[in-house]
Amino acid sequence: MISKLLTTKNLRNLIIILVVVGVLFLAISGYLTPLFSFSVSPFIRAQSWLAQRYLAFSDFFTSPRDMATLRAENSELNEQVAMLQSEIVALQENLAQSEILYTLLDFARSNPEHEYLAATVIGREISPYLQYIIIDKGSNDGLRHGMPVVTQQGLVGRIDALIADAARVQLITDSASIVNVKLQTAQVEGQVRGSVTGEISIDMVPVGNEVEVGDVIMTSGLGGTYPPNIFVGQVLTMQSKENVLFQSGSIQPVVDFSSLSAVLVITNFDSVNITPLIP
Amino acid sequence: MLMLQLSVFSQWKILAGSADLLLLFTIAWCLHDRSKYLWLLVLIMAGITNFVSAMPVFVPVLVYLGVYILTRQVHLRIWQTPLLGMFIVTFAATLAQTALSIAALFIQNAEISFTDAMIKVALPSLLLNMLLAIPVHALVRELAFYAFPKGAEA
Repeated sequence: MISKLLTTKNLRNLIIILVVVGVLFLAISGYLTPLFSFSVSPFIRAQSWLAQRYLAFSDFFTSPRDMATLRAENSELNEQVAMLQSEIVALQENLAQSEILYTLLDFARSNPEHEYLAATVIGREISPYLQYIIIDKGSNDGLRHGMPVVTQQGLVGRIDALIADAARVQLITDSASIVNVKLQTAQVEGQVRGSVTGEISIDMVPVGNEVEVGDVIMTSGLGGTYPPNIFVGQVLTMQSKENVLFQSGSIQPVVDFSSLSAVLVITNFDSVNITPLIP
Repeated sequence: MLMLQLSVFSQWKILAGSADLLLLFTIAWCLHDRSKYLWLLVLIMAGITNFVSAMPVFVPVLVYLGVYILTRQVHLRIWQTPLLGMFIVTFAATLAQTALSIAALFIQNAEISFTDAMIKVALPSLLLNMLLAIPVHALVRELAFYAFPKGAEA
Protein backbone atom coordinates (compact mmCIF):
# COMPACT_ATOMS: atom_id res chain seq x y z
CA MET A 1 0.00 0.00 0.00
CA ILE A 2 2.78 2.43 1.01
CA SER A 3 4.92 1.39 -1.90
CA LYS A 4 1.95 2.00 -4.13
CA LEU A 5 1.58 5.53 -2.74
CA LEU A 6 5.30 6.32 -2.96
CA THR A 7 5.45 6.41 -6.65
CA THR A 8 7.89 8.75 -8.37
CA LYS A 9 5.15 11.05 -9.43
CA ASN A 10 3.67 11.39 -5.98
CA LEU A 11 7.08 11.93 -4.40
CA ARG A 12 7.81 14.70 -6.87
CA ASN A 13 4.47 16.35 -6.15
CA LEU A 14 5.04 16.07 -2.43
CA ILE A 15 8.48 17.60 -2.69
CA ILE A 16 7.12 20.44 -4.81
CA ILE A 17 4.34 21.09 -2.31
CA LEU A 18 6.79 21.06 0.59
CA VAL A 19 9.15 23.41 -1.24
CA VAL A 20 6.31 25.79 -2.12
CA VAL A 21 4.95 25.73 1.40
CA GLY A 22 8.45 26.26 2.75
CA VAL A 23 9.11 29.16 0.42
CA LEU A 24 5.76 30.69 1.30
CA PHE A 25 6.52 30.26 4.99
CA LEU A 26 9.92 31.85 4.57
CA ALA A 27 8.40 34.70 2.48
CA ILE A 28 5.64 35.32 5.03
CA SER A 29 8.18 35.23 7.81
CA GLY A 30 10.28 37.85 6.04
CA TYR A 31 13.38 35.74 5.55
CA LEU A 32 13.22 36.13 1.79
CA THR A 33 12.94 39.95 1.73
CA PRO A 34 16.66 40.69 1.07
CA LEU A 35 16.73 38.10 -1.65
CA PHE A 36 13.49 39.46 -3.12
CA SER A 37 14.75 43.01 -3.02
CA PHE A 38 18.01 42.04 -4.58
CA SER A 39 16.31 40.21 -7.38
CA VAL A 40 13.63 42.92 -8.01
CA SER A 41 15.82 46.04 -7.80
CA PRO A 42 17.26 45.71 -11.33
CA PHE A 43 13.74 45.64 -12.68
CA ILE A 44 12.77 48.70 -10.65
CA ARG A 45 15.84 50.60 -11.84
CA ALA A 46 15.06 49.66 -15.42
CA GLN A 47 11.43 50.69 -14.94
CA SER A 48 12.32 54.06 -13.46
CA TRP A 49 14.91 54.70 -16.21
CA LEU A 50 12.29 53.93 -18.81
CA ALA A 51 9.65 56.05 -17.08
CA GLN A 52 12.00 59.06 -16.79
CA ARG A 53 12.94 58.83 -20.43
CA TYR A 54 9.31 58.57 -21.37
CA LEU A 55 8.39 61.60 -19.28
CA ALA A 56 11.26 63.58 -20.78
CA PHE A 57 10.17 62.55 -24.21
CA SER A 58 6.57 63.40 -23.45
CA ASP A 59 7.54 66.82 -21.99
CA PHE A 60 9.58 67.59 -25.05
CA PHE A 61 6.52 67.31 -27.26
CA THR A 62 3.86 68.66 -24.90
CA SER A 63 5.69 71.51 -23.13
CA PRO A 64 5.06 74.23 -25.79
CA ARG A 65 1.35 73.71 -25.40
CA ASP A 66 1.67 73.77 -21.63
CA MET A 67 3.75 76.95 -21.72
CA ALA A 68 1.11 78.68 -23.77
CA THR A 69 -1.56 77.47 -21.37
CA LEU A 70 0.49 78.58 -18.39
CA ARG A 71 1.10 81.98 -19.91
CA ALA A 72 -2.59 82.44 -20.55
CA GLU A 73 -3.40 81.32 -17.03
CA ASN A 74 -0.68 83.61 -15.69
CA SER A 75 -2.04 86.63 -17.51
CA GLU A 76 -5.55 85.78 -16.33
CA LEU A 77 -4.33 85.47 -12.76
CA ASN A 78 -2.41 88.73 -13.09
CA GLU A 79 -5.57 90.42 -14.27
CA GLN A 80 -7.48 88.96 -11.37
CA VAL A 81 -4.79 90.11 -8.94
CA ALA A 82 -4.89 93.64 -10.38
CA MET A 83 -8.68 93.66 -10.21
CA LEU A 84 -8.67 92.40 -6.63
CA GLN A 85 -6.03 94.92 -5.64
CA SER A 86 -8.10 97.76 -7.09
CA GLU A 87 -11.14 96.37 -5.26
CA ILE A 88 -9.15 96.28 -2.03
CA VAL A 89 -8.07 99.90 -2.53
CA ALA A 90 -11.68 100.93 -3.26
CA LEU A 91 -12.93 99.04 -0.22
CA GLN A 92 -10.26 100.59 1.98
CA GLU A 93 -11.30 104.02 0.70
CA ASN A 94 -14.94 103.21 1.43
CA LEU A 95 -14.01 101.95 4.87
CA ALA A 96 -12.07 105.12 5.67
CA GLN A 97 -14.96 107.25 4.39
CA SER A 98 -17.45 105.19 6.39
CA GLU A 99 -15.39 105.58 9.55
CA ILE A 100 -15.37 109.35 9.09
CA LEU A 101 -19.11 109.40 8.44
CA TYR A 102 -19.79 107.18 11.48
CA THR A 103 -17.76 109.57 13.62
CA LEU A 104 -19.71 112.52 12.21
CA LEU A 105 -22.95 110.64 12.86
CA ASP A 106 -21.91 110.01 16.45
CA PHE A 107 -21.17 113.71 16.84
CA ALA A 108 -24.55 114.63 15.33
CA ARG A 109 -26.33 112.22 17.70
CA SER A 110 -24.50 113.57 20.72
CA ASN A 111 -25.39 117.16 19.77
CA PRO A 112 -29.12 116.90 19.00
CA GLU A 113 -29.75 120.64 19.38
CA HIS A 114 -28.57 121.18 15.80
CA GLU A 115 -29.58 119.67 12.49
CA TYR A 116 -26.68 118.53 10.37
CA LEU A 117 -26.01 117.74 6.75
CA ALA A 118 -22.90 115.74 5.94
CA ALA A 119 -20.81 116.88 2.98
CA THR A 120 -17.61 115.72 1.36
CA VAL A 121 -14.70 118.05 0.69
CA ILE A 122 -14.10 118.03 -3.06
CA GLY A 123 -11.61 120.83 -3.52
CA ARG A 124 -9.49 123.57 -2.07
CA GLU A 125 -8.91 127.21 -2.89
CA ILE A 126 -6.62 127.95 -5.83
CA SER A 127 -4.95 130.95 -4.23
CA PRO A 128 -2.47 130.07 -1.49
CA TYR A 129 -3.35 133.36 0.24
CA LEU A 130 -6.88 132.22 1.05
CA GLN A 131 -8.15 129.32 3.15
CA TYR A 132 -11.33 127.94 1.63
CA ILE A 133 -12.65 124.48 0.84
CA ILE A 134 -15.31 123.36 -1.63
CA ILE A 135 -17.96 120.83 -0.52
CA ASP A 136 -20.30 118.69 -2.59
CA LYS A 137 -23.58 120.06 -1.21
CA GLY A 138 -25.22 123.26 -2.37
CA SER A 139 -28.45 125.21 -2.47
CA ASN A 140 -30.31 122.18 -3.87
CA ASP A 141 -29.58 120.43 -0.57
CA GLY A 142 -30.96 123.31 1.47
CA LEU A 143 -27.71 125.06 2.28
CA ARG A 144 -27.62 128.82 2.62
CA HIS A 145 -25.00 131.52 2.91
CA GLY A 146 -23.50 131.83 6.38
CA MET A 147 -24.35 128.36 7.68
CA PRO A 148 -21.69 127.11 10.14
CA VAL A 149 -19.58 124.10 9.19
CA VAL A 150 -18.14 121.75 11.79
CA THR A 151 -16.55 118.33 12.20
CA GLN A 152 -16.74 115.94 15.11
CA GLN A 153 -13.69 117.76 16.50
CA GLY A 154 -14.87 121.33 16.29
CA LEU A 155 -15.47 124.44 14.24
CA VAL A 156 -14.38 124.49 10.60
CA GLY A 157 -15.86 127.68 9.16
CA ARG A 158 -18.96 128.99 7.40
CA ILE A 159 -20.47 128.86 3.97
CA ASP A 160 -19.30 131.77 1.89
CA ALA A 161 -20.71 131.10 -1.58
CA LEU A 162 -23.14 128.62 -3.11
CA ILE A 163 -24.17 127.08 -6.37
CA ALA A 164 -26.80 124.39 -6.89
CA ASP A 165 -24.65 121.37 -6.06
CA ALA A 166 -21.56 122.78 -4.34
CA ALA A 167 -20.58 125.36 -1.79
CA ARG A 168 -17.44 127.26 -0.86
CA VAL A 169 -16.60 127.31 2.85
CA GLN A 170 -14.45 129.99 4.43
CA LEU A 171 -12.26 128.27 7.03
CA ILE A 172 -11.61 129.92 10.37
CA THR A 173 -7.93 129.91 9.36
CA ASP A 174 -8.61 132.39 6.53
CA SER A 175 -7.08 135.79 7.02
CA ALA A 176 -10.48 137.50 6.71
CA SER A 177 -12.15 135.23 9.26
CA ILE A 178 -13.04 136.45 12.74
CA VAL A 179 -14.77 134.22 15.30
CA ASN A 180 -16.04 135.52 18.61
CA VAL A 181 -14.96 133.10 21.31
CA LYS A 182 -14.86 132.60 25.04
CA LEU A 183 -12.17 130.98 27.13
CA GLN A 184 -13.73 128.28 29.26
CA THR A 185 -11.55 128.48 32.35
CA ALA A 186 -10.69 132.17 32.30
CA GLN A 187 -14.32 133.10 31.56
CA VAL A 188 -13.32 135.92 29.23
CA GLU A 189 -14.15 136.61 25.64
CA GLY A 190 -11.95 137.28 22.68
CA GLN A 191 -11.65 136.90 18.95
CA VAL A 192 -10.01 134.14 16.96
CA ARG A 193 -8.45 135.39 13.75
CA GLY A 194 -7.01 133.51 10.82
CA SER A 195 -3.91 134.46 8.92
CA VAL A 196 -2.51 134.34 5.44
CA THR A 197 -0.45 131.26 6.37
CA GLY A 198 -3.40 129.31 7.77
CA GLU A 199 -2.49 129.67 11.42
CA ILE A 200 -5.00 131.00 13.94
CA SER A 201 -4.51 133.27 16.90
CA ILE A 202 -6.60 134.73 19.69
CA ASP A 203 -6.88 138.47 20.16
CA MET A 204 -8.96 141.07 21.97
CA VAL A 205 -8.65 139.32 25.35
CA PRO A 206 -8.83 142.06 27.99
CA VAL A 207 -5.62 142.68 29.92
CA GLY A 208 -5.86 141.68 33.55
CA ASN A 209 -7.46 138.34 32.96
CA GLU A 210 -5.25 135.39 33.72
CA VAL A 211 -5.27 133.04 30.74
CA GLU A 212 -3.59 129.68 31.17
CA VAL A 213 -1.92 127.65 28.48
CA GLY A 214 -4.24 124.83 27.43
CA ASP A 215 -7.41 126.76 28.22
CA VAL A 216 -10.24 125.55 26.01
CA ILE A 217 -11.64 128.00 23.46
CA MET A 218 -15.31 127.76 22.44
CA THR A 219 -17.48 129.92 20.23
CA SER A 220 -19.37 132.53 22.25
CA GLY A 221 -22.22 133.10 19.84
CA LEU A 222 -21.70 136.86 19.92
CA GLY A 223 -22.31 138.58 16.62
CA GLY A 224 -24.70 135.89 15.45
CA THR A 225 -22.22 134.39 13.01
CA TYR A 226 -21.68 131.07 14.78
CA PRO A 227 -23.74 129.16 17.35
CA PRO A 228 -22.30 129.13 20.87
CA ASN A 229 -20.29 126.35 22.53
CA ILE A 230 -18.53 124.86 19.52
CA PHE A 231 -14.98 123.75 20.24
CA VAL A 232 -12.35 125.86 18.43
CA GLY A 233 -9.01 125.00 20.01
CA GLN A 234 -6.70 125.44 22.96
CA VAL A 235 -4.43 128.28 24.01
CA LEU A 236 -0.78 127.62 23.16
CA THR A 237 0.81 130.88 24.25
CA MET A 238 -0.40 134.24 25.51
CA GLN A 239 1.40 137.53 25.49
CA SER A 240 0.46 140.98 26.66
CA LYS A 241 2.46 144.07 25.84
CA GLU A 242 2.73 147.17 27.97
CA ASN A 243 0.29 149.99 27.40
CA VAL A 244 -2.15 147.89 25.39
CA LEU A 245 -5.73 147.12 26.27
CA PHE A 246 -5.83 143.57 24.99
CA GLN A 247 -3.64 140.52 25.08
CA SER A 248 -3.18 138.06 22.26
CA GLY A 249 -1.81 134.58 21.76
CA SER A 250 -1.49 131.58 19.52
CA ILE A 251 -3.93 128.69 19.35
CA GLN A 252 -3.74 124.99 18.62
CA PRO A 253 -6.87 124.32 16.52
CA VAL A 254 -8.74 121.10 17.23
CA VAL A 255 -9.49 120.50 13.57
CA ASP A 256 -6.72 119.34 11.26
CA PHE A 257 -7.50 121.62 8.33
CA SER A 258 -4.93 120.01 6.05
CA SER A 259 -6.70 116.64 6.04
CA LEU A 260 -10.36 117.62 5.98
CA SER A 261 -12.32 115.08 3.96
CA ALA A 262 -15.88 115.27 5.32
CA VAL A 263 -17.72 117.97 7.26
CA LEU A 264 -21.12 118.67 8.79
CA VAL A 265 -23.13 121.76 7.91
CA ILE A 266 -25.42 123.05 10.68
CA THR A 267 -28.60 123.64 8.71
CA ASN A 268 -30.88 125.01 11.44
CA PHE A 269 -28.74 128.01 12.29
CA ASP A 270 -29.35 131.32 10.56
CA SER A 271 -26.41 133.63 10.82
CA VAL A 272 -27.20 137.27 11.51
CA ASN A 273 -25.60 140.02 9.48
CA ILE A 274 -25.07 142.85 11.93
CA THR A 275 -22.94 144.92 9.57
CA PRO A 276 -25.67 147.56 9.01
CA LEU A 277 -25.87 148.07 12.78
CA ILE A 278 -22.17 148.78 13.13
CA PRO A 279 -21.65 152.55 13.16
CA MET B 1 -6.79 120.86 -15.30
CA LEU B 2 -9.11 122.67 -12.88
CA MET B 3 -9.95 119.43 -11.06
CA LEU B 4 -6.24 118.61 -10.77
CA GLN B 5 -5.61 122.06 -9.33
CA LEU B 6 -8.48 121.91 -6.82
CA SER B 7 -7.90 118.37 -5.64
CA VAL B 8 -4.14 117.85 -5.93
CA PHE B 9 -2.02 120.92 -6.50
CA SER B 10 -3.87 123.13 -4.00
CA GLN B 11 -2.98 120.58 -1.32
CA TRP B 12 0.59 120.02 -2.51
CA LYS B 13 2.24 122.65 -0.33
CA ILE B 14 5.61 123.89 0.74
CA LEU B 15 5.04 125.83 3.98
CA ALA B 16 1.83 127.66 3.01
CA GLY B 17 2.62 128.12 -0.67
CA SER B 18 1.13 126.09 -3.50
CA ALA B 19 1.47 125.91 -7.27
CA ASP B 20 -1.01 127.43 -9.72
CA LEU B 21 -1.45 124.92 -12.54
CA LEU B 22 -3.99 127.02 -14.44
CA LEU B 23 -1.61 129.96 -14.56
CA LEU B 24 1.28 127.77 -15.72
CA PHE B 25 -0.86 126.14 -18.39
CA THR B 26 -1.96 129.56 -19.66
CA ILE B 27 1.61 130.85 -19.79
CA ALA B 28 2.89 127.75 -21.61
CA TRP B 29 0.04 127.84 -24.11
CA CYS B 30 0.50 131.54 -24.82
CA LEU B 31 4.23 131.04 -25.41
CA HIS B 32 3.78 128.37 -28.03
CA ASP B 33 4.36 129.27 -31.69
CA ARG B 34 1.28 127.61 -33.09
CA SER B 35 -1.21 128.56 -30.42
CA LYS B 36 -4.28 130.45 -31.57
CA TYR B 37 -7.19 132.27 -29.91
CA LEU B 38 -4.99 133.22 -26.97
CA TRP B 39 -7.27 136.03 -25.84
CA LEU B 40 -10.10 133.50 -25.59
CA LEU B 41 -8.00 131.12 -23.50
CA VAL B 42 -6.93 133.95 -21.20
CA LEU B 43 -10.54 135.04 -20.86
CA ILE B 44 -11.71 131.51 -20.05
CA MET B 45 -8.93 130.91 -17.51
CA ALA B 46 -9.61 134.23 -15.77
CA GLY B 47 -13.32 133.38 -15.72
CA ILE B 48 -12.74 129.90 -14.27
CA THR B 49 -10.42 131.26 -11.60
CA ASN B 50 -12.97 133.96 -10.72
CA PHE B 51 -15.72 131.38 -10.48
CA VAL B 52 -13.83 128.99 -8.21
CA SER B 53 -11.63 131.29 -6.15
CA ALA B 54 -12.71 133.64 -3.39
CA MET B 55 -10.21 136.25 -4.56
CA PRO B 56 -11.74 139.56 -5.70
CA VAL B 57 -12.50 139.68 -9.42
CA PHE B 58 -9.78 142.14 -10.31
CA VAL B 59 -6.92 139.90 -9.13
CA PRO B 60 -7.26 137.02 -11.66
CA VAL B 61 -8.36 139.40 -14.42
CA LEU B 62 -5.29 141.62 -14.01
CA VAL B 63 -2.94 138.63 -13.57
CA TYR B 64 -4.16 136.85 -16.70
CA LEU B 65 -4.26 140.08 -18.69
CA GLY B 66 -0.66 140.72 -17.61
CA VAL B 67 0.27 137.16 -18.59
CA TYR B 68 -1.21 137.70 -22.06
CA ILE B 69 0.68 140.95 -22.62
CA LEU B 70 3.95 139.68 -21.19
CA THR B 71 3.90 136.40 -23.12
CA ARG B 72 3.37 138.31 -26.38
CA GLN B 73 6.35 140.54 -25.60
CA VAL B 74 8.56 137.66 -24.47
CA HIS B 75 7.56 135.60 -27.48
CA LEU B 76 8.61 138.41 -29.80
CA ARG B 77 11.96 138.95 -28.13
CA ILE B 78 13.21 135.50 -27.08
CA TRP B 79 11.23 133.20 -29.31
CA GLN B 80 14.30 130.94 -29.78
CA THR B 81 14.25 129.78 -26.15
CA PRO B 82 10.64 129.23 -25.08
CA LEU B 83 11.66 127.57 -21.80
CA LEU B 84 13.52 130.72 -20.76
CA GLY B 85 10.42 132.69 -21.68
CA MET B 86 8.34 130.31 -19.58
CA PHE B 87 10.59 130.90 -16.57
CA ILE B 88 10.55 134.68 -17.02
CA VAL B 89 6.77 134.93 -17.35
CA THR B 90 6.16 132.43 -14.51
CA PHE B 91 8.43 134.44 -12.23
CA ALA B 92 6.80 137.75 -13.15
CA ALA B 93 3.23 136.40 -13.03
CA THR B 94 3.73 134.79 -9.60
CA LEU B 95 5.14 138.02 -8.21
CA ALA B 96 2.30 140.01 -9.75
CA GLN B 97 -0.21 137.56 -8.31
CA THR B 98 1.41 137.92 -4.90
CA ALA B 99 1.35 141.71 -5.02
CA LEU B 100 -2.27 141.83 -6.18
CA SER B 101 -3.40 139.20 -3.66
CA ILE B 102 -1.79 141.04 -0.77
CA ALA B 103 -3.30 144.30 -2.01
CA ALA B 104 -6.73 142.68 -2.22
CA LEU B 105 -6.44 141.27 1.30
CA PHE B 106 -5.26 144.65 2.54
CA ILE B 107 -8.29 146.32 0.96
CA GLN B 108 -10.56 143.72 2.57
CA ASN B 109 -9.03 144.63 5.92
CA ALA B 110 -7.84 141.07 6.44
CA GLU B 111 -5.31 140.06 9.07
CA ILE B 112 -2.11 140.01 7.06
CA SER B 113 1.56 139.91 7.91
CA PHE B 114 3.67 141.02 4.97
CA THR B 115 6.73 139.06 6.15
CA ASP B 116 4.75 135.84 6.59
CA ALA B 117 3.06 136.37 3.25
CA MET B 118 6.41 136.68 1.52
CA ILE B 119 8.37 133.99 3.36
CA LYS B 120 5.71 131.35 3.92
CA VAL B 121 3.48 131.86 0.90
CA ALA B 122 5.02 133.87 -1.93
CA LEU B 123 8.49 132.33 -2.08
CA PRO B 124 7.34 128.68 -1.72
CA SER B 125 4.65 129.33 -4.36
CA LEU B 126 7.27 130.83 -6.64
CA LEU B 127 9.54 127.82 -6.12
CA LEU B 128 6.73 125.35 -6.86
CA ASN B 129 5.62 127.30 -9.93
CA MET B 130 9.19 127.42 -11.27
CA LEU B 131 9.64 123.69 -10.65
CA LEU B 132 6.37 122.84 -12.33
CA ALA B 133 7.06 125.20 -15.23
CA ILE B 134 9.33 122.64 -16.92
CA PRO B 135 6.92 119.66 -17.07
CA VAL B 136 3.94 121.90 -17.84
CA HIS B 137 5.85 123.54 -20.68
CA ALA B 138 6.81 120.14 -22.12
CA LEU B 139 3.26 118.85 -21.81
CA VAL B 140 1.67 121.91 -23.37
CA ARG B 141 4.24 121.89 -26.18
CA GLU B 142 3.23 118.32 -27.08
CA LEU B 143 -0.45 119.20 -26.77
CA ALA B 144 -0.02 122.24 -28.99
CA PHE B 145 1.76 120.20 -31.65
CA TYR B 146 -1.10 117.74 -31.51
CA ALA B 147 -3.80 120.42 -31.52
CA PHE B 148 -2.24 122.53 -34.28
CA PRO B 149 -0.35 120.20 -36.62
CA LYS B 150 2.09 121.87 -39.00
CA GLY B 151 0.27 120.74 -42.15
CA ALA B 152 -2.91 122.41 -41.01
CA GLU B 153 -1.32 125.87 -41.18
CA ALA B 154 -1.01 125.74 -45.00
